Amino acid sequence: MPEYKDIVELILTTIDEVNELLPADRQLERSVDTVVFGGDGKLDSLGLVTFIVAVEQKIAETFNVTVTLADEKAMSQRNSPFRNVGALAGYIKKLLAESGK
Amino acid sequence: MFIDFFLERFAGEGDKNAIIWQDRPYTYPHLLERISYWSKRLREEKIQPGTVTVLEGDFSPEAVALLLALIEQGCVIVPLTAAVATRKEEFIETAQGEISFIFTPDDQVRIKKLPGKGRHVLYDKLRAEKHPGLVLFSSGTTGKAKAILHDVEHLLQKYKVKRKDFTTLAFLLFDHIAGIDTLLYVLSNCSCLVTVEERLPDIVCRVIEKYKVEVLPVSATFMNLLIFSEAYSRYDLSSLKYIAYGSEVMLESTLKKSAALFPGVAILQKYGTTEVGTLRSKSRSSDSPWVKIGGEGFATRVVDGILQIKAHSAMLGYLNSPSPFTEDGWFVTGDRVEVDGEYYRIYGRDCDIINIGGEKVFPTEVENLIQTFDNVAEVLVYGEKNNITGNIVCADISLVKKEDGKKFIINLKKFCLQHLQPYKVPIKIKIVDQLDLSARFKKVRRKED
Repeated sequence: MPEYKDIVELILTTIDEVNELLPADRQLERSVDTVVFGGDGKLDSLGLVTFIVAVEQKIAETFNVTVTLADEKAMSQRNSPFRNVGALAGYIKKLLAESGK
Repeated sequence: MFIDFFLERFAGEGDKNAIIWQDRPYTYPHLLERISYWSKRLREEKIQPGTVTVLEGDFSPEAVALLLALIEQGCVIVPLTAAVATRKEEFIETAQGEISFIFTPDDQVRIKKLPGKGRHVLYDKLRAEKHPGLVLFSSGTTGKAKAILHDVEHLLQKYKVKRKDFTTLAFLLFDHIAGIDTLLYVLSNCSCLVTVEERLPDIVCRVIEKYKVEVLPVSATFMNLLIFSEAYSRYDLSSLKYIAYGSEVMLESTLKKSAALFPGVAILQKYGTTEVGTLRSKSRSSDSPWVKIGGEGFATRVVDGILQIKAHSAMLGYLNSPSPFTEDGWFVTGDRVEVDGEYYRIYGRDCDIINIGGEKVFPTEVENLIQTFDNVAEVLVYGEKNNITGNIVCADISLVKKEDGKKFIINLKKFCLQHLQPYKVPIKIKIVDQLDLSARFKKVRRKED
């Protein structure tokens, strides 16, 4: 089962890739505290969708498992998994554990 | 003449705020003064009734005042916003714009003569009636946008009945039918229109709190973003009375979560198309996808599961496409609906169109562009379900000769970003050996399941 830090690293690598396509003022900082969406986060709606799809694809490539990050389950969490990179990594770890990986 | 009812109402409003723009209030007396200034200026500039006038701007006080003055002068107005920057020239050419008023971010204006001559049989029809017109654009199947011409005299009828006064957020765009509807509705009730610089959850919520916004017209996508951003927990949104959503189907989970988050707020579904305008509507309840649509001047019927609308305020026609009306004058929306007594449940378009947060994408337009990119042999563009924007654009591509897939995809996305509006750029690109030509149809079928 992947460690929390491996998942954080996976998200940070995705940030590098997504930044290549984002305008300079919308780029995400490479940090565990970076806000993914909301507050002073940098992404707009299409940026958020692009980022989520890229993370999902990276998870499929790396761990050979398909997860959906923005769905009813994510919506029903007490706190949004998109509040920062660390929270998203924690949420992915939970999803992977549930899928038996 | 055309806007007399607005002017009479404005004059009775004392010092009430009409528009909040860039965090500054502009009152109804100010708006009246600016309409009078622009009416005089139009005469000085010798802008004749019937002139096709491009208005590049947003819901700023000057652009709103000019819009009303142009209606009064009987001009044909073509509003354009920064959102269509990549297609501006095409739109102006299609509409045959004769003159352009370009508003800068600080609400100054530049007037530019255009080469267009404003010639079209539909324009002639309007000029014969001495009515003002409005040209709006909607995506066309091949990528060429359809130019929709409305008779503004007809459009204005439904605003003549004074309704309730609510402070309303200008969320929808200045060059969309729903944005124009919000503006005219607000002005006709002498309410306050609150504008936002960016349509991001925290910015919108901050403005709702600060100006005690009561009506929030949004897209389903925005509700998803609002939920995921948790912005609602950082601001006081207790002023909200109505959230009106439309232009795309809202997931039931989003609807239920929204109803739970805003228990005192009525959540209403709206329905309209650029061709027929916005209908009056009533949702069965805040968390119900069933809605009653119609209102004075509108009739609805369902033929083969597809919604058709007959409207007094319907467009005169497309400037660049054949008439879409049936022989007896009904507009075929293309939206599949289910019927339960007086209520409809709207499932969206029954064809290849991909709806991205309310914006329509025709696969052929994106395919035509990608086909011109170096080393592309074949391309298939289709939609895939997405829980935030409803759908995303995906592309399967086969290459002429092998190359590094990652690099190719990034370069292709950059190329698309230069030539397409951002929502049309494929988010998922897959390199395949051979295209599955039935793939798109399969996707459509899956959507119906």
